[in-house]
Amino acid sequence: MAQSASKTVVMELRGISKNYSGVAALTDVSLQIKAGEVHALLGENGAGKSTLMNVASGTVAPSSGDLVIHGERYDALTPALANQLGIAIVHQHPAVLKDLTVLENLQVALPSSIFKGRPADKVGVELLERVGLKISLKLRVEDLTIAQKHLLEIAKALATSPKILVLDEPTAALGQDSVELLFQLVANEIASGTAVIYITHRLAEVRELADIVTVLRDGHLMATSDIGKITDAELLAQIIGRELKSAFPSKHTVAEGAKPNLVVTGLSGNGFNDVSIEAYPGQIIGIAGVVGNGQSEFLKALSGQAEFTGSIEINGQKKSAHSLNGKAALMPADRQREGVMMRMSVRENSALASLKKFKNFGLLSRRKEVTSVHDTLTSLSIKAPGLEAPVSALSGGNQQKVVMARALLSNPVMILADEPTQGVDVGARSELYEILRQASADGIPVVVASSDAKELEGLCDTVYVLSRGQVVKTLRDGENREEAMIEAAVTSTTKVIRVERQQREQRMANETFFVKFRRFLRGDYAPPAMLALVMVALSALIMTKTDSYFSDFNMNSILLLVSALGFVAIGQTTVMMTGGIDLSTGPLVGFLVVIASFFINDDAPFTAIMMGLVTMALVAVLVGLANSALIRFVKFTAIAATLTTYIAIGGFAFLLRPQPDGYISQAISDVLNSAIGPIPYVFIALIVATVAMEYLLRKSRWGWQLRAVGSNEEAARKVGVRTTRSIIGAYVISSLFVFLGSLLLMVQLGIGDASQGVTYTLTGITAVVLGGTSLMGGRGTYIGTFMGSILLIQVLNATVFLDLDQTWQYLLQAILILVAAVVYSTARNRKASKKNS
Amino acid sequence: MADRSAATLSTGSRFQVSKGLLTVLVSTAVLFALSAALAPTSVAPGTLSGMLPFAAILAIVGLGQMLVIQQAGIDLSVAGSVSLAAVIVTVYPTGDNSRLVPALLMAFGVSLATGLLNGVLIGFIKLNPIIATLGTNSLLYGLVMAISQGIPRQTTSRLQSIVTSATFGIPNTVYFALATLLIVILFLRKTVAGRRFESIGASPAVASISGLRVRTHLGLAYVWGQLLYTLAGVLIAGVISSPNGSMGDAYLLPSVAVVVLGGTSLLGGRGLPTATVIAAVFLSQLDQFVLALGVNFAVRTLVQAAALAIGVAIYTVDWSRVRAVLNKLLSANSRGQNQASLPSA
Repeated sequence: MAQSASKTVVMELRGISKNYSGVAALTDVSLQIKAGEVHALLGENGAGKSTLMNVASGTVAPSSGDLVIHGERYDALTPALANQLGIAIVHQHPAVLKDLTVLENLQVALPSSIFKGRPADKVGVELLERVGLKISLKLRVEDLTIAQKHLLEIAKALATSPKILVLDEPTAALGQDSVELLFQLVANEIASGTAVIYITHRLAEVRELADIVTVLRDGHLMATSDIGKITDAELLAQIIGRELKSAFPSKHTVAEGAKPNLVVTGLSGNGFNDVSIEAYPGQIIGIAGVVGNGQSEFLKALSGQAEFTGSIEINGQKKSAHSLNGKAALMPADRQREGVMMRMSVRENSALASLKKFKNFGLLSRRKEVTSVHDTLTSLSIKAPGLEAPVSALSGGNQQKVVMARALLSNPVMILADEPTQGVDVGARSELYEILRQASADGIPVVVASSDAKELEGLCDTVYVLSRGQVVKTLRDGENREEAMIEAAVTSTTKVIRVERQQREQRMANETFFVKFRRFLRGDYAPPAMLALVMVALSALIMTKTDSYFSDFNMNSILLLVSALGFVAIGQTTVMMTGGIDLSTGPLVGFLVVIASFFINDDAPFTAIMMGLVTMALVAVLVGLANSALIRFVKFTAIAATLTTYIAIGGFAFLLRPQPDGYISQAISDVLNSAIGPIPYVFIALIVATVAMEYLLRKSRWGWQLRAVGSNEEAARKVGVRTTRSIIGAYVISSLFVFLGSLLLMVQLGIGDASQGVTYTLTGITAVVLGGTSLMGGRGTYIGTFMGSILLIQVLNATVFLDLDQTWQYLLQAILILVAAVVYSTARNRKASKKNS
Repeated sequence: MADRSAATLSTGSRFQVSKGLLTVLVSTAVLFALSAALAPTSVAPGTLSGMLPFAAILAIVGLGQMLVIQQAGIDLSVAGSVSLAAVIVTVYPTGDNSRLVPALLMAFGVSLATGLLNGVLIGFIKLNPIIATLGTNSLLYGLVMAISQGIPRQTTSRLQSIVTSATFGIPNTVYFALATLLIVILFLRKTVAGRRFESIGASPAVASISGLRVRTHLGLAYVWGQLLYTLAGVLIAGVISSPNGSMGDAYLLPSVAVVVLGGTSLLGGRGLPTATVIAAVFLSQLDQFVLALGVNFAVRTLVQAAALAIGVAIYTVDWSRVRAVLNKLLSANSRGQNQASLPSA
């Protein structure tokens, strides 16, 4: 597999640099990718491999440098452009949408040409078969295992027959058989002339697959070599090669006859299996391994925040998860999110876990707190503008010292540091090492997980190397050289420990009726089915009391009310599908009636009526645009944005009609009220609209994109959805359905009245919620909203027939909402908890 | 080494003025100046003493809503809760002063139960706050109807005199609002529970890593909220001699508006109680000012919407970026002019 000069260069990255707020992630990296070759990218965590590939696939724009693809020059790509150029990427964290089905995930991410002319499920099954994924296309992606999600991601990438295929650590979560299959697929792609870029940590995979190997270190390109001409030792030297930059404190010598102060035996939990470690007083324990091999999960379990089996003993005392939670201090790896409260002050961040110490007569004493926090921070030689400065104003190293101060102030039984020096400058690093050493010398067990083997070599006394959740090597003092750790981590051949779970999922493939029924209960169409049952029961109950319930008159008036509400609620459903909310629907429906009252009058000519309708539609579109512009461009939350338009629309309505006036044309009312038997035509229109929207939601690219945005905006963007356009569209569509609803409200009111309509906001939301659409976005049905609208109106109407007063109208509504919300939410949570176990 | 660091680490002043507080303080000052200049009647003592009780009630409701919003929630049951409290303290005694205290106990008991219901639904069953409080709001209105049968009753004379009389020339409602503010500030800044509460709002992830009981505090936010809405409802019953069953409706949107105007984010985070209270004064005075200018209800509403939009934009828009873009545009313009002038040169 020697490099041949004749192979064509399909992609060239020239002098790519990328800075994130002043920090260089990539510096002047140039790379040539050739057709029919596997080009491996090697490097430690944070070396810049993923950033480089994000540049190549269009999710990140470079700060400088450019790309040449198929001979064309580009400054930067977008995900959509990269797709067109035949670049497909398998992301390290699969860009899959959990609320969509497997098939829908394929459909939203792939160009429609792939599905052209053949039934979609057939194409889908074929695509999945290529990667050996045997699951139902109808399965929701959140029910997939991590390995299955990765395979789905690979299937998507291969489906487009890409010219350039980027694989970002594709085997991290895969089982052995899947890895072999993947290698086979890569070989096939190469044979057909595809260029493959393969990012990995594992030398064995590089040896097996790659033609060319490039090593990145700290954002710099080290070397590009022919795989046949470089030895493992040379590669390792390129990957590591960093001289010892930080000074480490001297290590600890275990005293003769000392007893261990931390003994962990056979600890297993989510992400790690059968881990045993032991520490003597004064020792620092290191957990080594490639990121994502169970280190963080292991530390979380030690801190009592995750379930585990096995035992943890501190100073001879057995500890339960409950007794560790809050007592064992965890310094999380994701400092930005889990470590510090960015907008709170240095003082508040430091004191968080030790507030009880500062009480004086029941209240917090500022003096005590300030003194204590100040002393601790000073002993950590923190550099900060002041105690009251927000933590966000501090450098990474000083933020980490705040986390450290919080841990020390809380008198912890154990300190667990996950990547304690990530994003910390060299000077602060050695200070952090000193602090950990000091804590350890004070007798507190200290466990440090780090992907920086050099750091563990310098800091720790005993190092355990984790690979795929298992200890593959224990290195005592003297043996814990960086080389030994990296070797153990990158050469390990442990298999993923998710086999059992995969088998359990496989069993689900043989579906019994019971399994199918359970899936239905958790599915999108369970809520409307439940609502139908309630409706039938309620009707039966009313029938026992009266026989005029099904009279034409009552049916007709119920259905007219349902129609107005139904259209407004369909609009609301569209917005909620994106994870937003539109509070302005109520005032808008009233405002449009006010506008109508100027045009659609008894003696108005046809042109005036047409103009009225056009004006109403235009105003609706404008309101939709205003809402979405506030949200997307001025960054309002959906509630703040639509609350603002809510109030403004009300103002405009009263501006136009300070007093109710402007009688609506009787002729138009008659048209809109006309019916076959008891069923008004407008109700039939509502049914048609519901079915059409439902169809579009499930079967059209618009619908998949809409739900993709609500499900996970970031992933949606990665698969090429134009998220802003989708969201603007949703608010405009919402307003247009409000326009349809306003025509019916117009008939009901018969006059322009600025005070009417506002109640439609909350009733509309209620109908949507009853229908089972999630306010979190991504999932729901229009059918459910339709049923919800009917049930709501039916309940209000029923109180009349059952001789119940207004109290019951409210109580029944409350019971409906709360019972529905609790039932739907527990059905969904059960699934989530099952997944976590 | 310690000396050097000690020099760099100032302990900071005891009192901090947040951006939200500053913005709303300045806006309110400007508004009063405008009122005095353009519509002197809107700052006449009579007008002010008419405005202040309602500003005070709005402030109390706003403080309750703030405690919920700072936990990234929202409470739609404000309306039902305020109405129910007003109805309980008027209908149960129906004018009999001796039954006022039991009525108050009843009102606060109901509000405690409602808060717990909301808290359990949202904190533990993980319902979306909009859905849960929409449901409880209906429940509360059901109770309002059941208790009042839609008929307003006369407020007891004792409640009325306590609430409507003035001490040192200032309406008593103002003292209630200030006391509430003081308690909320004390809770948030000076108690262990309050500090934890605030941290959980700022970052549930950090709080949970630190071993705090996130769900409990989250749920309790709704209890604190309910207690304050109820206090507001009782005060309304005192101010308005016979409150009907939908008094609370008028407070739902303004309660959210004052919190947002005060600079507390709808996404959760630090709550700014003083700014929220001043925002309540601002909104109430804005109403008086526009009213005194003689414009109608419609314009008043539009001014409110504009105030809200500007108030939110101050926090959401990245103004340094806007300035950068503007500068770029301006310099591009001037460059264009230069180029245009080149040929003639």
